[in-house]
Amino acid sequence: MKRLLTASLLALLSGTAFAAPSGKLVVYTSQTPEVAQQTIDAFKAKYPDVAVEWIRNGTAQLMNILRAEVAAGDVKPDVLFVADTINIGQLKREGRLLPYAEAPTTPYDKAFHDADRTYFGTKIVATGIAYNTKTAKRPTSWSDLTAPSIKAQVALPSPLYSGAALNHLHTVAASPEIGWSFYAALAKNGVAPVGGNGPALNDVAGGRATYGIIADGDVMRAKANGSPVDFVYPKEGVSYITEPAAILKTARNIEAAKAFIDFLLSKEAQQLVARQGNIPIHPEVPAPEGFPKLTDIKLLPLDVGQAINTDKEVKEKFRDIFGG
Amino acid sequence: MAWMKSKSLTLSLRDRAVRTEISVLTVLLVFVTAVAVAPLSRLLFEGIAPSGVFDWGRIQRIFNQASVWRAAVNTLIMATGSAALATLIGALLAAAVAVTDIRTKASLVFCVILPLMIPPQVATLAWINLFGSSSTLLSMLGLAAEAGTRHPLYSLEGIIIVLGLHNAPLVFLAVRASLRALPSDLVEAARSEGASPLRAFLSIVLPLARSGLISGAALAFVSAAGNFAVPAMLGIPGRVPTLITLIYQRLSDYGQEAFADVALLSLSLGAIAVSGLLFQSWLLRRRDIRITSLTATPLRFSLGPWRRPTEIACWVFALGVLVLPLLALLSTALVSGYGQALTTETATLKNFTNALFHHTMIRGAFMTSAWLAAATAVILTIVGIPLAYFIVWRPNSLVRVASAVLEVGYALPGTLVALAAILLLIKPIPIIQVSLYGTPWIILLAYLTNRSVLSLRPIVSGFMQLDRSLEEAARVVGAGFFRRLRDIIIPLVAPAAGAGAILVFLTVLTEIQVSVLLVTSSTRTIGASVYFLEESGATTLAAAVGVLIVVAVFCLMLFVSSFKDRLPKGILPWAE
Repeated sequence: MKRLLTASLLALLSGTAFAAPSGKLVVYTSQTPEVAQQTIDAFKAKYPDVAVEWIRNGTAQLMNILRAEVAAGDVKPDVLFVADTINIGQLKREGRLLPYAEAPTTPYDKAFHDADRTYFGTKIVATGIAYNTKTAKRPTSWSDLTAPSIKAQVALPSPLYSGAALNHLHTVAASPEIGWSFYAALAKNGVAPVGGNGPALNDVAGGRATYGIIADGDVMRAKANGSPVDFVYPKEGVSYITEPAAILKTARNIEAAKAFIDFLLSKEAQQLVARQGNIPIHPEVPAPEGFPKLTDIKLLPLDVGQAINTDKEVKEKFRDIFGG
Repeated sequence: MAWMKSKSLTLSLRDRAVRTEISVLTVLLVFVTAVAVAPLSRLLFEGIAPSGVFDWGRIQRIFNQASVWRAAVNTLIMATGSAALATLIGALLAAAVAVTDIRTKASLVFCVILPLMIPPQVATLAWINLFGSSSTLLSMLGLAAEAGTRHPLYSLEGIIIVLGLHNAPLVFLAVRASLRALPSDLVEAARSEGASPLRAFLSIVLPLARSGLISGAALAFVSAAGNFAVPAMLGIPGRVPTLITLIYQRLSDYGQEAFADVALLSLSLGAIAVSGLLFQSWLLRRRDIRITSLTATPLRFSLGPWRRPTEIACWVFALGVLVLPLLALLSTALVSGYGQALTTETATLKNFTNALFHHTMIRGAFMTSAWLAAATAVILTIVGIPLAYFIVWRPNSLVRVASAVLEVGYALPGTLVALAAILLLIKPIPIIQVSLYGTPWIILLAYLTNRSVLSLRPIVSGFMQLDRSLEEAARVVGAGFFRRLRDIIIPLVAPAAGAGAILVFLTVLTEIQVSVLLVTSSTRTIGASVYFLEESGATTLAAAVGVLIVVAVFCLMLFVSSFKDRLPKGILPWAE
């Protein structure tokens, strides 16, 4: 017994002595500047020996930077921490991600990380219905947006330009309850897709549109600031992104990169997610005020491999329906 | 003997002058190679031979797509139409200000130029609001479109109108610079021969203003072809695909091919820009009229009874394009949540105090953008004057290629220029082993690639108007290149160069597209910060920063104006 204790103590000591990561860690993240800063600060507080260099930009921009780095033959980041799984799934398919088998995923739902353990979801950002509280009554179903009485009043971010909207399109199109007929009905109703989430939210808040198909966190923040908007998780279900993090195969500091993943999956980081106004995925960390419990939302599944394979067709079909 | 000596002395002086010119030209070409040829050919390489393999089939496949052709045609229509509108408005305004006797010119010019400072996406949003079904103003007049109808600006015509209004100040600056060089004696001579004011205007003023008109129109054309905000905000919902929105669409695709496709598509955009440039030089070569203007008194047509209506028309335009977007921006900045009605209860200065005192990031970004804008303007002016000298007075094929490449750098969307810079600079520069990637210097380089035309164009049109005899005389007597530059050339082109420098400074200060891919967590530009704020839903804070930028520039312009008397005449484009 005593020997066992000494052994485990030694193991613990050696564990901290050998595994304490240090050196430079390069992170590319698409979190908003303030949220990214808070996340990095919290990580640095826990791992003071790691010097984090980070670049923050939209997912599409980060992917373009990464593509340029690949083309030039010098990939800078150790860790990618971006919005959706489709982009990161494409990188996995190209063999650019490093599997991390020992990642601490025990408490989490298997749907939120890659089965091959190359990327790990960190939160739930759901796309549902935003509505203008001055001009609309609270919707409950996606079909409320296709009523003939609300012609051309839905702000729909274009999946041809916005990654979040593309994620939504792939999810919804594959859902038997919603499907392509929903988009066809929107088009028939004169809805014209706009650029992205931001313009769509502003259209709803500014009264140019009555409803919008937008991410929950942004709408709740706008509501907290006094914008006349609110958010609904429709009964048929919502699409979602998990803001996954992944280690690149070309990473220079794998130890620190693993520590970063460990941190993002820690209860402490999940509590930070809730404080930042998003739904955490750790079952023991409650959602922030105003959000439903994770178990009360119907999350529609997305087959990432399928989405990558059918991407061209899906976009083409969208173009056919909306005319470009 | 004495005669021999002086001849050989002159010869050796002229020899040296030629040698100096050759070395100056070499330095200029090295500069153009570094800031434009190198990054753009790197991008071209990526487009035609991704991963080093040339694939003709892929290129054919892309250019055979109907969507690419439709986008190219739309881009041509959009650029031509809006350039025509911008030229009409800009030239009329410039004529009113430069050669008539309307009053309040100083403040009018100020108000015409200030919109260059308002980021195009803000101005576009204001127009969308104004003509939308929820428009407060049009509802009061009973003209607002019914809810549920298509927005009138979501169309090719809408894009042309908004871009035309947006680019009119560019033409205004170019035309005004050429008009202010007009001597009054020519017109007086014509008038004393019995020509009516209109006749004198059409037969003397207009031909002499050609170079300004043409270069202004070409600038508006290329600016429109490369503009992103307007076709994105009006064309995407209006289903009017253009090359630039197509490029952005492909940029948000994932997969390795997307990147090479984008590089290739950008070539077609570059081709459109160069065609505009070729058309311009063809027009300019057809007739050549030059004047020297240092001593002449400027021209003034008396408008008589038409003075008041002209003044009103000018002010309606100036206030329309300035006050409308500014009001939209201000009303957004004064509430805490976008879409809240602005009332005495909801009005708050919170966004402004946050922007000024609580976000160190914003202050830092402002400083970064200010020095980047100033450095870009200064470098491009220093390079632009001798480069324009060679382009106009001593052209050769190398110089022509250099100016065409700079043109492509301007026409390409900023994002692509940034990608080209990344491709070029991600590895340390050979030999000196310095890495610029991740530093502000890569942003500066991309600005030099993307903005040189804005400074070069006005200087070139300045040179085109000058009578070369002064400079030739100085050359004959053996004045060295730098001597001629200092004593003759710079004073003559100072107004044009000043206009160019201001254009560069103002447009770089609020620039978003180039820097958005190049910023890091420690170096941010103000444009990218505003974009990130908007993106994260902080629309009202972003609007407050926008208002602060406009206020800061306004103060800067006033401050510089206070030194007007000590500056060379005509160097401040907004001063009378």
